[in-house]
Amino acid sequence: MATFDVAALRQAYGGRPVLALDALTVREGARLAVVGPNGAGKSTLLRLLAFVDTPAAGTIALEGKRIASGAARRGARLRVTMVEQRPYLFRGSVLENVAYGLRARGVSRAAAADRAREALARLRLKELAGRDARALSDGEVQRVAVARALAVEPVAVLLDEPVSGADRAAHHALFAALAEEQARRPLTIVFASHLLEDAYRWADDLLALHLGQPSPVTPENLFRVDLPGGSAMQEVQVGPLTLEVVTDRTGPATLAIPPEEIVLSTASLHSSARNVLRGRIVRVAEHGAAVRVTLDAGIELVALITRKSFDEMGLAIGGTAFASFKSVAVRVF
Amino acid sequence: MSGPGGEVAGIALLSLRIALIATVIACLLGVPLGFFLGWTRFAGRRVLLALLNTALALPTVVIGLLIYLLLARRGPLGALGLLYTWQAIVVAEIVLALPIATALSAAAIQSVDPRVRRTALTLGAGTLRTAWTVALEARFAILAGVAVAFGRVLSEVGAALMVGGNVRFQTRTLTTAITLATSQGQFGFAVALGLILLALALTVSVIIQLLQGHGDV
Repeated sequence: MATFDVAALRQAYGGRPVLALDALTVREGARLAVVGPNGAGKSTLLRLLAFVDTPAAGTIALEGKRIASGAARRGARLRVTMVEQRPYLFRGSVLENVAYGLRARGVSRAAAADRAREALARLRLKELAGRDARALSDGEVQRVAVARALAVEPVAVLLDEPVSGADRAAHHALFAALAEEQARRPLTIVFASHLLEDAYRWADDLLALHLGQPSPVTPENLFRVDLPGGSAMQEVQVGPLTLEVVTDRTGPATLAIPPEEIVLSTASLHSSARNVLRGRIVRVAEHGAAVRVTLDAGIELVALITRKSFDEMGLAIGGTAFASFKSVAVRVF
Repeated sequence: MSGPGGEVAGIALLSLRIALIATVIACLLGVPLGFFLGWTRFAGRRVLLALLNTALALPTVVIGLLIYLLLARRGPLGALGLLYTWQAIVVAEIVLALPIATALSAAAIQSVDPRVRRTALTLGAGTLRTAWTVALEARFAILAGVAVAFGRVLSEVGAALMVGGNVRFQTRTLTTAITLATSQGQFGFAVALGLILLALALTVSVIIQLLQGHGDV
């Protein structure tokens, strides 16, 4: 059975549409990554799936049961939990925070404390139990919030940018803990992220959102620009850089540079590619025989190359590389 | 108690009693009302908040006059025979403290991080538990409002003079006694009474600060 079944979902703030999702099915035990740039509608979708906000239109079914009334939403919130991008810990101890959801479900104080300790132990946070929740580091707050959300053993947990503030080792620890939790019991995970490496590494399904709608392309190398117009070959300002693109459009638009269309080299190429950018390698993520290389060239660009090319060129984090791509490879929409 | 020392102690105790009773009653009414105004959204709420903020600046002599007219023998509540009793001062001080307790509680609730409500909801809390959680997060600011109300009531003189009448051994409070002593040129006595008033205010303020410091529930 699907954990979530979404149909014709619409959300608007102050009359402005922010999300339009015709259909989405999240099966039980799935790990769905919702990716997209800021303002794509990721948080909006998560809040709707958490039944905190009411949709402007459309339906959400939880485990096959349509959730429409306020009472049904309240009941659904007992089975789905959410961790915000910047989680809030209530005043009091870490243990009291983690026990909060259990107490809200009528669990006795002693039993809630025991189960909260178990949840903290599963996230390797046992030693934080007695600490003042206001005295934690950002990374600890994030992990405690995840422990708090998991302590009630929900059927689904929704995580909004769960690793935005923490370091890479913390990212790994968090996702590993979530994977362990899934191995222990049925749990559906939906997480929003602007980092595609995390999505590719940890999710088994991916929903790319752009301006509140499912996007045909993944949100790597997506840039909001203002096209000057004038001719088919246009010079467009993207951050500090000027790129050449081929389009008849003018005005606000989105550029997408497919990662597989970018050629990486250790020296500047003399080729038909109109765009050649020099940058520093800041992240590398492996995906089987392929490697996603993130280059900081004034803007962050992700290139998808083979493992073999990566090794042969001797690329490494911190090293310099050139990214080349043709004007016609840049998609404009 | 007898002698000047006994009289001063009686005045101080009466001041404390009036301030405590008025603050407690004003807060019992004002804090829940402030919570309601800060928590809910309804038509006319902004107007109510604006009126409340105006009431914060209400001159105490105006309050004194209103209560005097209400409690005067020919007034609507004249039959109660409260004028020139310490209970009349309590009534006036409640009118003074109520807008403070309400407005500061509303502001405290409004200033609570919106994530508190959302977090409580996503963790499965019902409406009451969510409201309680928000109130707990705002408790230090609410307590600060209670302290302000108490301080204002304890130091008030105009209304106390008008509806209490500064009757010796009956309605004379520290502030009205200071006024009298000053008008009679007994500056040393007035200063001594002022110091007692300060000491009382300081004691209550310290107690509230201690409550805030150990307030984690």
